[in-house]
Amino acid sequence: MSAAARCPPQPPIPELGPFKRSFWRSPLRGPWLASFLSAALLPLIVVCFLTGLLSHAAYNPALGRNQLFDPGVDFYFFEWPVRPSWLYALTQGLHVVSGLGAIPILLAKLWAVIPQLFERPAVRSVAHALERAGLALLVSGSLFVFATGILNIQLWYPFGFSFVPAHYYAAFVFIAALAFHIVTKITVARRAFSERGVVAPLRDELEHTMPEPPLEGLDTTAPVAAAPPTMSRRLLIGTVGAGSLGLALMGIGQSVGGPFRRLALLAPRGRSEGNGPNGFQVNRTLGSVGIPREKLVRDWLLTLSVGGDMRVELTRDQLLQMRQTTASLPIACVEGWSTTQRWTGVRISELARMAGAHGAEIEVRSLQESGTFKRATLSDRQVRDPRTMLALKVNGADLSLDHGFPARLIVPALPGVHNTKWVGELAFAGTAA
Amino acid sequence: MKRFRYEYGGGPVHLVAAAVGLGVAVWALFMVFGVLDRPQNFVRWFVGAIVLHDLLFLPIYLALGAAASGALLRGQRTRIRVAALNHLRLPALFSGLLLLVWFPLVLSKAAASYESRSGLSTDVYLGRWVALTAVLFGVSALLFALRARSLGDNR
Repeated sequence: MSAAARCPPQPPIPELGPFKRSFWRSPLRGPWLASFLSAALLPLIVVCFLTGLLSHAAYNPALGRNQLFDPGVDFYFFEWPVRPSWLYALTQGLHVVSGLGAIPILLAKLWAVIPQLFERPAVRSVAHALERAGLALLVSGSLFVFATGILNIQLWYPFGFSFVPAHYYAAFVFIAALAFHIVTKITVARRAFSERGVVAPLRDELEHTMPEPPLEGLDTTAPVAAAPPTMSRRLLIGTVGAGSLGLALMGIGQSVGGPFRRLALLAPRGRSEGNGPNGFQVNRTLGSVGIPREKLVRDWLLTLSVGGDMRVELTRDQLLQMRQTTASLPIACVEGWSTTQRWTGVRISELARMAGAHGAEIEVRSLQESGTFKRATLSDRQVRDPRTMLALKVNGADLSLDHGFPARLIVPALPGVHNTKWVGELAFAGTAA
Repeated sequence: MKRFRYEYGGGPVHLVAAAVGLGVAVWALFMVFGVLDRPQNFVRWFVGAIVLHDLLFLPIYLALGAAASGALLRGQRTRIRVAALNHLRLPALFSGLLLLVWFPLVLSKAAASYESRSGLSTDVYLGRWVALTAVLFGVSALLFALRARSLGDNR
């Protein structure tokens, strides 16, 4: 980049205000700081991106009507497992925690490199123009995925577009632009770390904090007219790190639960919901789906059908008289919170046998009439698992209406919303034996 | 090769990375435009994100920071004045960060959907944020008071 290159004609930008290099006076800005923040950010972004892809796979999008949108290219090459049962609680907890923890570092990084937005000449070469286009996509893409993610976990949807595909594809824009950015900047990071040391600049006290020197022959944000420092690099990085840790702890609190839930002071699912058997987090209340109470309490019947033919109808009492199974399994929400409870009910595999269905997928249908998650298709492996059940009770008591009374699905390691509540029908695929 | 560098302004690796990175990014944008009902809202948010951050939020907090350091330092960079500045701006940064991330709950923007879906009210969050902010500033002020004496001795 430093070698002579054909320079395209420049738009006339006056050398004023932020366009003047001497406008940016912080002595802490420079290639080392930008590289150090990037090195801290990168692992969080990698974890966040990979767990995001895993979340896509966890919904078993290849089955039935599980797919929320056409992903163009399928990145799930495997069937989502049932073991360990806390798998989705872990991957999705990591997704939200790494995302929350990345926010302060991203903001600090953007602060560190903001002078580059105003660099002159605005375009030095074709390569430089492509780099800047990539940077625009990188900054927009990163702010977009973090902003939509933050709003979504707080159940606020002011965007006017569908969250899942927008968040999913914006992540690809972000990651692709990031990969290009890393290729173009890896020299800066390598030089900054070899000339300044990776952590050595953190050792300087305020009195010994010098403006960051430029890297010879490379274009960086090192200040040309630095003000005296008011903060050491250690304090700056410590502040960013503390912000990151604080947000991450809030995410960890609502993901791990138990006594740690108290850490999640400002997180949406950091609250106690009472001590009763049904005192745990509700993703969707009965009120928000609008199923009339009498359909659940008085008139409820479970329908078992195979290949579209109705085979069996069961009352809740009949279900309670069947062999019951009990298992401690988590509800793990895509929004990054989890809660593990002790569920009791009838094995789905037993209901399959009763209906005469053999080794097949099953679509579980709720009585709710609208909503993306009024149904979910389970894989053969999930149906066969002895812990997969139609739960009737939780912690020894009947399910509350908000938790899915009279019956809800519970499947190990399956995303929370696929653990369908207010189940009305189990539709087994295939033909009778 | 020299000719290539002159015309392009970078090496071949740069060009390959640009083609792959920008190619995938443009592919993803095309995909999402095809999937969404109202892609113009996506564009509004995608472009709005960078414009708001770079040209509004960042200048605002730079200006706030400059105003705070101007008022506290008054051109005198004594250790105690610099410490006072940090004991003020660090809790302000943390409090601002918490508000930035959790404002839908703290300011009850998400009240309707949050209450309908979770069965809980957003009422508690404003109080919690104010309390956290008070603790941050309080602890910072206390630490400053403890440090002030030794800082005052020097210079």
